Amino acid sequence: MSEDITFTMVGSGGDGAVVAGDLAAMACASQGLHVIKTEAYGPQIRGGESSSTVRVASAPITAQGDAINALVVFRFADFARFHSEMTLAKNCVVLHEPADVPPAELAAYRCVPVAFAQIAKDAGAPAARNIVALGILAAMFGLPFDSIRAAVRKRFRKRDAAVIDANLRALDCGITWNGAQFEAGPRFDGRTPSASRLLMSGNEASAFAALHAGCSFFAGYPITPSTEILQLLGEWLPKIGGSCLQTEDELAAIGAVVGASFAGAKGMTATSGPGLALMSEMLGLSSIAEIPSVIVNVQRGGPSTGIPTKSEQSDLFHAVYGGHGDMPRVVLACCDVEDAFHATVDAFNIAEEFQLPVIVLSDQAIAQRRETIDAASLVHEVIPRRLALEPDDTYRRYAITEDGVSPMTVPGMAGGMFQTNGLEHDEEGRPSSMFETHERMNAKRYRKLDAIAEKYPLFRTFGADKPELGILCWGSSAGPVQEAIETMNASGARAAAFVPRILAPLPAKALQAFIDSCERILIVELSYAEQFHRYLRSLVDLPRTGTRILKRSGGKPLSVVDVIEAAKVLEGVTA
Amino acid sequence: MTITANDFKTDLKPVWCPGCGDFAVLSSVHRALAAAGCQPHETILVSGIGCSSRLPGYVETYGLNSLHGRALPIATGAKLAAPRMTVVAVGGDGDGLAIGGNHFLHAARRNVDIAYFMMDNEIYGLTKGQAGPTTPSGDRTKSTTYGNPDPSLDPCALAIAAGASWVGRGFSGDVKGTTDLMTRAIRHHGFAFLNILSPCVTWRGEEQHKELRAQMRPLPADHDVTNREAAMRFTDEHDVLTTGVLYEVARATVLDQLADIERRARGNSAPVRSDFLAAFG
Repeated sequence: MSEDITFTMVGSGGDGAVVAGDLAAMACASQGLHVIKTEAYGPQIRGGESSSTVRVASAPITAQGDAINALVVFRFADFARFHSEMTLAKNCVVLHEPADVPPAELAAYRCVPVAFAQIAKDAGAPAARNIVALGILAAMFGLPFDSIRAAVRKRFRKRDAAVIDANLRALDCGITWNGAQFEAGPRFDGRTPSASRLLMSGNEASAFAALHAGCSFFAGYPITPSTEILQLLGEWLPKIGGSCLQTEDELAAIGAVVGASFAGAKGMTATSGPGLALMSEMLGLSSIAEIPSVIVNVQRGGPSTGIPTKSEQSDLFHAVYGGHGDMPRVVLACCDVEDAFHATVDAFNIAEEFQLPVIVLSDQAIAQRRETIDAASLVHEVIPRRLALEPDDTYRRYAITEDGVSPMTVPGMAGGMFQTNGLEHDEEGRPSSMFETHERMNAKRYRKLDAIAEKYPLFRTFGADKPELGILCWGSSAGPVQEAIETMNASGARAAAFVPRILAPLPAKALQAFIDSCERILIVELSYAEQFHRYLRSLVDLPRTGTRILKRSGGKPLSVVDVIEAAKVLEGVTA
Repeated sequence: MTITANDFKTDLKPVWCPGCGDFAVLSSVHRALAAAGCQPHETILVSGIGCSSRLPGYVETYGLNSLHGRALPIATGAKLAAPRMTVVAVGGDGDGLAIGGNHFLHAARRNVDIAYFMMDNEIYGLTKGQAGPTTPSGDRTKSTTYGNPDPSLDPCALAIAAGASWVGRGFSGDVKGTTDLMTRAIRHHGFAFLNILSPCVTWRGEEQHKELRAQMRPLPADHDVTNREAAMRFTDEHDVLTTGVLYEVARATVLDQLADIERRARGNSAPVRSDFLAAFG
């Protein structure tokens, strides 16, 4: 039996709800527990309401917590903003300041007043009511006290010893407050610690992947929820002799990446929907001039400014279809934090080997949650650019080849000069407006997709071997789908999922075989317009009857229960 | 082996109209690259879109005729990724001041170590004769039937204001003078902007060439190139075309800044994988 709990802290800016969540997550990760930590904010730049939700389990988990076992609310006025996006477990314990009266909708839960502020004040750390609450939660679920103390020391290491001591006293006051009395969920104290895990976000994993892949140039423009990639590579790249450029806009960001790549460097940019829209024209140049480029697009609610701080899967059409002209490009999608690493390295490998733009679709849910991963899993083969090492007079930059890839030269290589352009061009790069050239070069460029489809049939499947119910999803939806399938199959269902990790070119053959092996199909996505469903319709055959769509707008993460409920509607599947 | 102007020629025939000022500019580019001591394989030539942006196709270097307005970000990325290469951006007035105007400001501000040659014909030629940012106010063009309602922009004034560390003006018909200015621009350490008046015989008329030649004046011998205000006095000129180096100062380039950042970020030892992962537990 695996232990599995979720707790949430809600407060205003300055209450430290997010800091307390970080400390708990770090402490649990260091003891080898599995953690997924998410945050939510109101629209204010500073201050305003914020919440932090931590799910801790002794076995691997793939979704954020569905049912909150313990809820700490510093101010119910703040909680009101998040309530519709939170589900409390039946026996949830709600801890709140004595003077703050719980709203009527919480009447069914155990609401317990705790004088957080007073306890913190008595401990000599008046601002540390979050730390007091953390202590109470630690005692409630048997979380590792010493690791939490270590996390507190690390967090405040640059502060005076007196501040650290006061916070540690506040923590101990919380621990001795007797949170254990509530039996709000399983306890972790009987467990033997295992090897420490890393606690990383998807954006951090993407940035680390860039280093791993040998990226030496990054250009970007700040945009939520991708900005951490710019910030991290701005810190990291100079340490290894690379460059990071914050550009004047996204047009310049992708332009600089194409320029750096033309000059021989591995380059990357990161953005979100509005930025991807601005980059579209340059992706056309990257495609026709066959200059490798890597774009990490972290999806958020759209269109336009939409909901910048929340997740959605609605940039799919833009990524696979967006652009002018017939433009071969590759679109990868990551399903979790560790996968953000692998997808980003794959993106470099494919871009460099096949000389085209590669978009990695991440989304806010993956990019900004932190989850535990094994450091040992962050390995991935790195494939170099195909260079024409000794170009002579017969060198043709766009020589027609079987797989469409023409070896590149880069500036500095004597004899490798070529003049290229975004105009249609012949094998030497000379402009041409002839139909024959256009047709031949289109065919050459599109052949690369065949080679990529052959070499990179990237997908995940999980669940029953001979499934009755097949679930198709992508990106962050895969997490709740995986846990839903585990739950359903544990009660006798035969469900399985197919999750493409490369969306263009789609591994259609494998996907069709999976679809054909299932009796019923459920498609799961966070897109009101059903972009994934419609995209699949254009490339594979879905059962005319027995296909159901679970879709909704982004803004509220998909839960395990959502998937199970949708599956129930499909006849013959019991959960 | 000494590199000559001929080593920079390609066998591709220019698409330009007979009499276009860009032929002379091309000739100056061939000569200036040789005079500045550039090697064809260590030179990157980037352009945007427009008549003049076809130029990289006619120069034997690593050349990229890119997107409308985007020559400078591409050139910036190329220079940062390959600092040893000579990077030159070329294009027209519409390309660099209208659709690419934002990049012009920021390339100048960053002082990217590239030379940027703007072939200024005061018109959109490739799309056949519409008003551009340097078209004089009141001029009738194909897109301004009743006269251009907008005032024209002086590219040199913009470059100086935005922080370019080298700003010059030339006339395509003066091949010797333009070659000399280009050579100095390429050798300059920092963002060197050269505005080259290059007549469009097709859309601005046969007279533009003669008029510009008649208006051409050298800078006064006592002009102080380090004096910003003095340089600004030679911008926004009417009926006069002052050629020469208007402004030249020494200022740290973005590469200098990044090199300094790298020194500070590196510390004493080169980081390894585990150093980057240490922040995550």
